[in-house]
Formats: sequence, structure tokens, C-alpha cells
Amino acid sequence: MRDQIEKYTDKLLKDGLAMPGSIRFYALDDELIVSKDDDWKPVFEAVLEELSVVGLLLAEPTLPFADNLIARSSDSDTRIYPKDSEVKTFLHDIPFIRRSALGEAGELAKAIATILRERKGLIIEGVGFVATGTVTLEQAYITYSSIFHATFIKYLLELLEHGWQLPGEQEALERFKNDWSQPYDVEKLAFRDGPLTARSEIIEEICAVGRYTVESGLVDSFFGNISLFDDGIIYISQTGASLDELEGLIDPVPMDNSSTYGITASSELPVHRRIYETSNYSTIVHGHPKFSVIMSMLCEKRAACEIADCGKDCPETRFINGVPIVSGEIGAGGIAKTVPPVVKEHGRALVYGHGLFCAGTNDFKDAFSGMVQVETLCRKRYFEMLAANL
Amino acid sequence: MFGWTGKILKVDLTSGAAHREDIPEDILLGSLGGRGLGVRLMRDFYGLDPFHPDMPLIFAVGPLCGTSSPTSARMSAVSRSPLTGTIYDSSCGGLFAHKLKAAGLDALMITGKSDRPAYLKVTGEESSVDDASSLWGLDTLDTMTALMEHGSVAAIGPAGENGVLFANIMVNAANSVGRGGLGAVMGAKNLKAVVVDGGAKTLIADEEVFKKGREDVMRLFKASPIIFGELGISEFGTPALVDLMKQRRMTPTANFSKTYFEAASDYAGPALKRTYQAKKEGCFGCPIRCKKVDSCGKALPEYESASHFGALNNNSDIHSIVKSNELCNALGMDTISMASTIAAYGEAKGRFFAPDEIIELVKKTALREGGGDDLALGSARVCAVLGVPQLSMSVKGLELPAYDPRGAYGMALAYATSNRGGCHLRAYPIANEILRKPVATDRFSFSGKARIIKIAEDTNAVADSLLTCKFAILAASLEEYAHILTGVTGVEYSAQSLLKIGERIVKEERRFNCDNGFSAKDDMLPKRFFTEAGTSGDGIEIPPIDESRFIEELKKYYKMRGLNANGCFEQ
Ligand code: SF4
Ligand SMILES: [Zn+2]
Ligand SMILES: [Zn+2]
Repeated sequence: MRDQIEKYTDKLLKDGLAMPGSIRFYALDDELIVSKDDDWKPVFEAVLEELSVVGLLLAEPTLPFADNLIARSSDSDTRIYPKDSEVKTFLHDIPFIRRSALGEAGELAKAIATILRERKGLIIEGVGFVATGTVTLEQAYITYSSIFHATFIKYLLELLEHGWQLPGEQEALERFKNDWSQPYDVEKLAFRDGPLTARSEIIEEICAVGRYTVESGLVDSFFGNISLFDDGIIYISQTGASLDELEGLIDPVPMDNSSTYGITASSELPVHRRIYETSNYSTIVHGHPKFSVIMSMLCEKRAACEIADCGKDCPETRFINGVPIVSGEIGAGGIAKTVPPVVKEHGRALVYGHGLFCAGTNDFKDAFSGMVQVETLCRKRYFEMLAANL
Repeated sequence: MFGWTGKILKVDLTSGAAHREDIPEDILLGSLGGRGLGVRLMRDFYGLDPFHPDMPLIFAVGPLCGTSSPTSARMSAVSRSPLTGTIYDSSCGGLFAHKLKAAGLDALMITGKSDRPAYLKVTGEESSVDDASSLWGLDTLDTMTALMEHGSVAAIGPAGENGVLFANIMVNAANSVGRGGLGAVMGAKNLKAVVVDGGAKTLIADEEVFKKGREDVMRLFKASPIIFGELGISEFGTPALVDLMKQRRMTPTANFSKTYFEAASDYAGPALKRTYQAKKEGCFGCPIRCKKVDSCGKALPEYESASHFGALNNNSDIHSIVKSNELCNALGMDTISMASTIAAYGEAKGRFFAPDEIIELVKKTALREGGGDDLALGSARVCAVLGVPQLSMSVKGLELPAYDPRGAYGMALAYATSNRGGCHLRAYPIANEILRKPVATDRFSFSGKARIIKIAEDTNAVADSLLTCKFAILAASLEEYAHILTGVTGVEYSAQSLLKIGERIVKEERRFNCDNGFSAKDDMLPKRFFTEAGTSGDGIEIPPIDESRFIEELKKYYKMRGLNANGCFEQ
């Protein structure tokens, strides 16, 4: 268990998700392991007593976006409703406890436990995010990073829509803009030239590119998948695999189902399969870069449109600087239908409120730089719009 | 009562006497049924030899049996295993369970020994012990055919009659009470078969609650790629796992000396489907229908059987595999232990057997002819006699199934802690380590595994007592089944309260084993796994298991279970 604590503490820091010194894990091995012994320990010990989980995580996010969302909410609100679809399915909504409601330890523990009986995580205003793991500590890490992702996207959309509302908000965002506007440095990454045909080489390259997507800061590790098609076989990352740790987690799925390797493949396998069936591409990278997700949800026709659930039902292909945006839920009837035709034509597709698919012809260079281009573009467009709106 | 019938039928084969008794309500509520009830009833019988006439053989069903709860028409048989010496339960599907319940019974407890071959007939409230001399020697299929007119049949074959230590009790062509040799316990009682029939209905307390729980379970089944996905077990049966284990490089090969068998694809799910035009079959009342039969309705092998008659014996001949499996079913023997014993014997003799020789050895074992007489004792005893005890790939004498522990460390731990010996089903960590459900865990790490295994053992003890299929628990959880149970019985249950019951059942089994001399020394894997590497490749490293790390995690497990460092109870 200590190794898991160390690993996910490192990841939280490396991904820039949590403030150094703020990360606390409470994990049940044969005895309770507490990574930081302070005033929170008795609270979370009491929470653990109430739940059947193996561990809890409490940490302070590096950005104040969740707190800002709470401060901007109306007094009667008790939850944040994510706007991006993947997190929406994964977490439903994110309950929070206001700073003003923080009572004494015993009561706080009860309040936290009550929420965690029906949700995977919550936000304590001014303190941080709490997340649980029922089987592994990785689950707590994933929930934490999902809350981070969801509040990031929601807050930035909020700003576009409703402008500054809090003291200091604008200055904080200026700082954020500077921090987050560094160019993604693709040049120093090494890609193998395709076409790749040796199995060991294919697998190594997929693992390397998976790591690049995370290490370059493009995407969070947990949501996303990657594949390469060669000689009738789709080499694809497994379901629930982290993009930066794909070693041993690549399934060689034959196009014709002549083996059952695909049982554990990414749940987005049908999208990949369909793209390879209908086009000449041979690599696909899929992830959820934040500004791409944000921009996919902005539609000029919104006010006049009759469709209520854009993410599910929008029949149109919209464009942002030539990048097509489509809708659809995960699964055979959804993005497996809408994504492949536009990828075939444009080599890439943004999915409303979800993420980005980029394809390449011979190797991963095109697919990866496609992702960088789209995210860079979306980031630029976002800050332009923000400046124009305010 | 709702759900339960509240009745047990006790039969003494020595005297032929039989009577129905009430089962105290608190025992039913606290043990649920099946394995839990059987284990509770075994409490007074520790210390008895498995073949002692007084040793009970218990058949028990659960409160959901007789309702339309998905995958719940199952039963457990419980006794002490002649193969392992541990307490033993095994669950199986099939109409027999349903009919036992319809005869108004939660359990049937058989003791004593008939002075000549006999079969037990239960028809509603009536029961009798009848002569079976003319059936003795028949295979299980012929026995079932001969008795079919009286109801649903559970029978032993020649293997059970001849005391093969891993003889099964068969309830259908392919549903077996498997692994630990309860067929031999039945044979020692001179009991060829049990046939049951009845018309009683299981009463449901709250139809609405029941229906809601049932729908939740069905929805989860449908959403599960492993169950109903295009590559899942409904489509290919458990042989869907052949490819998967091959790709993970954890296919036990050549008696576990390797972990990769290139030719495994020759008998994998898709090959079986193609070669035998496999059709779906299932346990009675199951929507998943994971069993596969050929075009004449003959049962095709499950994953474990295919892999062990295949890779474990260095055999890629699909016909030899299918034939060996078929013979085991007809003769009434466990496929895993049979195949593994042949493989160990092969390694000991310096060569693995040819496809046809394997088939011959299966026959000889059941009939105890020639070399088969030794093989009938299982790999641990055979290898001991041959002076190579380390070649028996077993834990507590039970041969390990087809997941190499070097490829899944939770599985390694679970093989060791299992109260019935080297079994994959007590905790089924393959779910999280390989199938990545409900979440993936690192299969090459022991970190956190003790707790995961403990909770999974408790969960599966509940599944075996409610009698739902383990595959159901892969997609649905105890939560949904708690709702179903509450709906059926009218007694409030939650996932939490069920887990407590599971914990008590596992503890009771441990106590039985400790009282029979088992301790930490028996919670151990064969040495090979700590000293020899598996077959690495395709970017996957299969090193030997770190023994000290394994023991460290085992100690943690003991602590969580309230056991001492020797794996038993302080007293
Ligand atoms: S899933 Fe298979 S083993 Fe389980 S109850 Fe259904 S048919 Fe039987
Ligand atoms: Zn607003
Ligand atoms: Zn996605």
C-alpha cells in the first residue's frame, strides 16, 4: 500500500493536479496507513470507519477553479454539475461542503461519510478534493483528477458566459493564462518512422506515444486510448489503462474477431475499428485535452436550436478552424457512427464535450502533432474569446 | 416462510431411515443456504475421515432457488474432501437444484452407508432408498437416463464408485459438483444416485422489490462486455479466456514449467465454435448460457478443461481435448485434477503424453486399471510415490486451475488462502487482475492484495450461499442481489450485512480445517513459482514470484482475518 501512496502522490505532483505538501492518503492495509499526520487524521479515520473502502485521498488542487465555482454558486446549491460528458457519466455530479458549514470534527466526518456513501468524491471549499477508492488507491487518484478536469472545464465556460464575479478573479486568470500558454514542444519527442510492422516495435511505440501525451501536458492519463493498425490487427490500449503506463497493456485485436483478445480492450475499440475499416489511416490517438473539450461545447446556434442534449443528439458537423466537431455517446450507436466518417475526411474529430480523435497514416507523428495543433488552436481561441467577451 | 422452505431431509443409508426436520430460522437467516448452510451443518463432524460412514454428504439450495432471480437455480454439495482433507463445498447449476427445492427442501443430508448399491428417491414429501445394483458400473449419462422418469438426477459414474479421489457428482451431461472428490464420498456410501421431484413453489415476500432488483441485475449483465459482449462468455463460453490468458502469457504449459503455449489458439473459443458448430446452453434458469455444446448436444470443454488437457499437457489436438473432457463427464471425474495429474505424471516420467495416450489415461484412471490406479489418487499422492513431490502443482492437494500465479499475484495469494485448496473461484481475482472489473489492479504487485482477496472471498462465500453464479457477480454486485434477497425473503439485507455473513462462513471453514490439523504450512504454493520464471515476451516479463513478499502479504491476510501467524485461531 505504501508503494501505491508514493506512486499516486508522485503522479498528482507530476501532473500538476495538487499542491505540494497538501496530499494526504488514508489507506487500509493490515493496518491504517496515514501519509500525513495532522488535524485531518481523526476526521478521515472516522470517515473510514463508516465506509467500506480501502482508501481516501484529500489534497488541495493547484487551481482555485472549484472554489471559485462554489463562491459563484447560489446559496442553495450543494453540487456542481459537470458539463463534459465523460466525467458526467463517471461522477454524475460533484457534491461540495462550504467553508461556512465546516463544523467540529465528528460532525464533519459524518457529513463527508454521508456524501461518500453515494458518490466517489466531493469538494471541501477552501480545503481541497476528497476521493475514495473501493478496491485500489488508483481509483481515488482517478476520481481526484476527474474532479479537477470537470471543474476546470466548467469554470472556464462559466467565465465566458457570465464574466468576472469575484474579487481578484481576473488577476488570477491572467496568471493562469501565462502559466498555461507555453507551447507544446513536439520537436524534442522522438517518433519512430512508419510503417511499423514488427510486433515488439509496435508495442514499444504505442507505449512511448501514450507517455508523450501525458508528459507533454496534453491530456490527463486516465481517460484516453491509442491504437495502431497493421496486417489485420488493431493493437489497442486496454480499458482503464493509463496512457502513461501502457507497458503490458496493449491488446492485439484481430479485425475479424478470430481471437477474443478484444474482451479487455478500450471501450472505444468500435470507433477505432470503424476508422480502420473505412480509411487508410493506421494510427489513432484519443484523449481529452481540456481546451478542445471546452471549445467543442460552444455553438453559435445554441440559443435558437431545438435540440436539448447537444452531446447526444446534435446531427450536425460543425467546424472550428477546419476541425470537425460531432456528437454522440460512447458505443455502437453513438460515436462509433459519427466519428469515423469525419476522421476519414479530415484526419481528426472533436467530440462534443468529450475529447479528440486524431489519426495518422504511417506512424504516430501526424496523429500526435494533430492533437497538439488542435489543442493549441483551441486554447488560443478560448483566450481570444474571453478577451473579446469581457 | 418466504424464500426458504425451512426444511431439511436427513437420510441414514445404514438403516434406510429418513425424516424431515425444521431448520431453525436463525440458522437460515445467518447462513443463507448452500455453502453457508452446509458448512454450518458440518460443524459437529470434524475429525471424521471423509470415507467414514458417519460423514455427511449435504446438498443445499438457497432462498432464491425457485424464483426467476438470474442464475440462481444452483445448489451446493458439502462434505469433507478425500482429496484435500479440508472441508469441501462445490456448487453447480442444473435442474436438480430446482427440483430439490420443489420437493420442499432447503437441504438434504445423507449419512451412513448402504450395504449394497442404492439410490435415493425423493418425490415431494415421500422418500425411499432403492436398490441400484443394476446401475452400478454405468456411466453418468446412462444412469441419468435410467432414472429420469423419477425426476432430476445427481449421479456418480465409475470414478466415484471406484474411489477416484477427484470423482465428481454429475447433475447433467455437463453440470458437475466438481474438484474435491465428493463423488468418491458418495461412492463410499454405496450411493449411485439421488433423484428428486416435487411441485412446491418458492414464496416471494415482496414482488415489487424483487422485480426491481432483478431488472437491475439484467441491465448490468447486458452492459457487461465480458458477459454479453461480442467476444464475451455468452458467445464463446469460458473458452473465451484461452486467447486472453495466452496474450497475458499466463497459460500454464507443460505442467507449469512454461506460461506460454503458441498453439493454444487451436482450441480457443473461436476454434471450438468453428470446429464443433458450438451452440449455447446454460444452467437451468440462466440468461447468460455460457455452456457450449456441439451439434449433437454433447458438452464442449470449459476454459479450465480445454487449457489443462491442452497447454498443460503440451497438447494442441482439439479432438483429444474434447474427447478427454467428454470422458471425464461420462465417467464422473474432475477435468482440472485429471488433466493436471496426467501432466505431473508426464513431467515425472520425462515426457508428456500423446493426444491418444491422454484419452487412454483418462479411462484407466476412472476404472483404476494399470497406471490409472495411481493417477486416481491425484497429483500430490502420485508425485510423492514417485519421489518428486515438487512436481505436483497443487495447494492442499487440490490441483491448480489454468491461471499461472506468476501472471497474477492476487491469484497466487488466493490459491494459498483458499479453504478448499488450490481453487480459482474462492476469490476470483482474475476479475480485477485480468478482466479489469470492477477496476483494474496491477497483476504483478502484491500491494493491497490481501484486503482485496479477503473481501472477494467473503463476497464469493455469499454468492455460493445465495447460490448465484460467480459470473453474475462479475457484472452485478452484492448490492443488487441484496435487493433481490430482501424482496424474496422479506428480511432486510444489505451488501454490508451479506459481507458479514460471508466473513463468518469463511471463518467457520478455517476453524474446521485448523481443527483437522491445517495451518500456515498448507497455505503455500508449489516451489516452482518462486524459483522458476515463466515465459516472457511481447513486452511482458514473467519473473518468479518473490517468496518473501508473498509471505508478507499472507501474514497481512491472517491479521485481517483475526488469525495468528500460523493461520489459525488463538485458544
Ligand atoms: S453464466 Fe454460465 S455457469 Fe453461470 S449460471 Fe449461467 S450458464 Fe451457468
Ligand atoms: Zn453562471
Ligand atoms: Zn474518450
